[in-house]
Amino acid sequence: MVNNTLAQIRQNKKQQFFIEIGVIIAILILFVIILPLIVSPFRLQLLGRFLALAIVGLGIDLIWGYTGLLSLGHGIFFALGGYAFMMHVKLQIPSGELPEFFNLYGVTELPFFWQPFHSFPFTFIAIFIIPAIVAGLLGYLVFRNRIKGVYFSILTQAALIVFYNFFNGQQKLINGTNGLKVDKETLFGFLISAPSTQVVFYQFTIIFLLLSYLLCRWLTSGRFGKLLIAIRDDENRVRFSGYDPTWFKVLVFAVSGAIAGISGALYTVQTAIITPSIMEVAFSIEMVIWVAVGGRATLLGAIIGTLLVRLGQSFLSEQFPDIWLFFQGALFLIVVTILPNGIVGWWHNWAWIKLKSIFGLNPPLITYPSLEKNPEESP
Amino acid sequence: MNETILEIDDLTVSFDGFKALNHLKFKMNKGELRVIIGPNGAGKTTFLDVITGKVQPTEGNVFFKGKNLRKISEHQIARMGIGRKFQTPRVYLNLTVKENLDLVANKTKNVFSTLFNKSTEQDKRTVASLLETIGLTAKAELQAALLSHGEKQRLEIGMLVAQSPDLLLVDEPVAGLTDEETENVGNLLLALAESHSIIVIEHDMEFVRQIAKQVTVLHQGTVLCEGTMNEVQNDPRVIEVYLGQETSLERDEIVIVRIAATMAWADFNLTPEEQDIIITNLSKQFADSSEDELLLKEELINFLGENIPLSDLVPLLTTEEEKLKVLQLSNQIINSHGINQLENQVYQELLELLNLPTEIVNSLIN
Repeated sequence: MVNNTLAQIRQNKKQQFFIEIGVIIAILILFVIILPLIVSPFRLQLLGRFLALAIVGLGIDLIWGYTGLLSLGHGIFFALGGYAFMMHVKLQIPSGELPEFFNLYGVTELPFFWQPFHSFPFTFIAIFIIPAIVAGLLGYLVFRNRIKGVYFSILTQAALIVFYNFFNGQQKLINGTNGLKVDKETLFGFLISAPSTQVVFYQFTIIFLLLSYLLCRWLTSGRFGKLLIAIRDDENRVRFSGYDPTWFKVLVFAVSGAIAGISGALYTVQTAIITPSIMEVAFSIEMVIWVAVGGRATLLGAIIGTLLVRLGQSFLSEQFPDIWLFFQGALFLIVVTILPNGIVGWWHNWAWIKLKSIFGLNPPLITYPSLEKNPEESP
Repeated sequence: MNETILEIDDLTVSFDGFKALNHLKFKMNKGELRVIIGPNGAGKTTFLDVITGKVQPTEGNVFFKGKNLRKISEHQIARMGIGRKFQTPRVYLNLTVKENLDLVANKTKNVFSTLFNKSTEQDKRTVASLLETIGLTAKAELQAALLSHGEKQRLEIGMLVAQSPDLLLVDEPVAGLTDEETENVGNLLLALAESHSIIVIEHDMEFVRQIAKQVTVLHQGTVLCEGTMNEVQNDPRVIEVYLGQETSLERDEIVIVRIAATMAWADFNLTPEEQDIIITNLSKQFADSSEDELLLKEELINFLGENIPLSDLVPLLTTEEEKLKVLQLSNQIINSHGINQLENQVYQELLELLNLPTEIVNSLIN
């Protein structure tokens, strides 16, 4: 009897697995193939940017939703990824020449750290490795000294401001406040600003979003994921159980930073510009809001939250150009007060059960579903 | 055979000049179940904090299996084989019972093996058998947040064992539990004591009596005394610390009062006459002066509240003279009003335990 149910559980899991793969493929076809055919290029580009932002949402969910560390400094990693990619783009000029802006400041020789960005493979790796290293170092210093909670958030925000000011001031290195902008550069012979190239970037964004999602899924399932939740619940207990939380947190922070870097690169190439303003405090806080709206520790929530907030923003700002910010504020208030677990949390805890009971699939439950069934009876 | 598992050598911990532990010395053998008691602020929790590496000693050293624990971090100490249970149950509320145990049962706890390795068959078996031991098999898939307080306590003890430590440190395991749950936890600890060395910190004296063989009393950061439960309970210094007042009684005098109290409680009722007899009698006997007598009367009342089994008390009497005193007093007490069956039973038990020559007993009775 017990074996029977075990087999059943396995069967169910298998079934669920195939359903999930089916859903993912369906969404993929919809977004990659169908949407580009029916949506205007302008809208598609907007969507592409939002999907790129959803990737950094995943990174925030990993470090905040699962591990309980509220990072307000993900703008750093986002910008590092963006700058890395843009530096490669700016070097798509006849050899021997310098990117235009250097002339303004009388720079005659390419700064040394620009050199490796001639190579695409290097750039590709740098987009996620550099943010990962910076996040890892910052994380190590912070976590080794057992800084957590609010102090961690403050420190990440302080780091963000340091980077912001540094990037702003370095005209001779990276064009300071003006940032780096795509003009007529080409990538592998394609004009970057051409709509047809942008569609390809849009499609790449979806693929990287999927890859990031799968990576996060893998990290958060299994023992490692459980340990992250354990760190969030009671870090001291983890320590007294024989784990060293420091290295787990460093790794997660680095991975989260790497994901933010990828997001930054994809976003930058679709907006055609990166400036230090991407490291303004408000933007890093907005990332956290996306995850809060979608639902912490759900992964899917991070994606849904980012898309909803951003789509809502662009819709409201078009309809009510003067007062749309009020609507946005109201939305956040509603989420914090009425849906503390975000949209996905609300769906799981309430709406899904309600919906099922409407269609008579499940009797309505008054208390926790798991308490309602007597565990002594069920095998 | 008697291998030392834990040795603490002249340990001092001071927080801003306040000495939480003060030149503490402590030694424990492998396989021992030791209970540590002490009033609030005696330094019990700090004692555990130092062993587990949460607090670094200001002076002195802790040796676990001969190794000095100074400068070793908490997780490494945990891996060496010291497990700790906290005062309030600390389990991972958002994980299921099974996941809680599985995390701790994991043998290799570095980052990458946790990431890449799946639970081995052996881990799964450990978890399954532990679930049975702590009686939570039916709730294995339930979130720990949904467990009752007592179930969480048991789960945490289970997590401790999953760590397969050599030394278990258990901080107030029965605080806030019902009598039945307390007994369950007690039996669980006794079962564990067969294969582990355990240090239990506890306030609940009934519970201590259930499980303890050796008791250490901490007071103001030092070891006040050590011994069996009965030895400790009748030590004047311990009584002083617990009652918060000084007692002028000697150790054997305390034992005599306690036996008298037990005799009086034999029918589960302490009548005023009985109390009167004990107090006037003993205060006269123990006092050096009439002034002293009055003080003693008040003090003695404090000892009448407890009904401690005779078999624990009588062996503590050392001289024949004391035994006679006890017998005499007991006679008076049960004769204060008509003897009933319960009292008779206890009296017979007393006679047996005292094991005095029959002629002496007879001469006393008549």
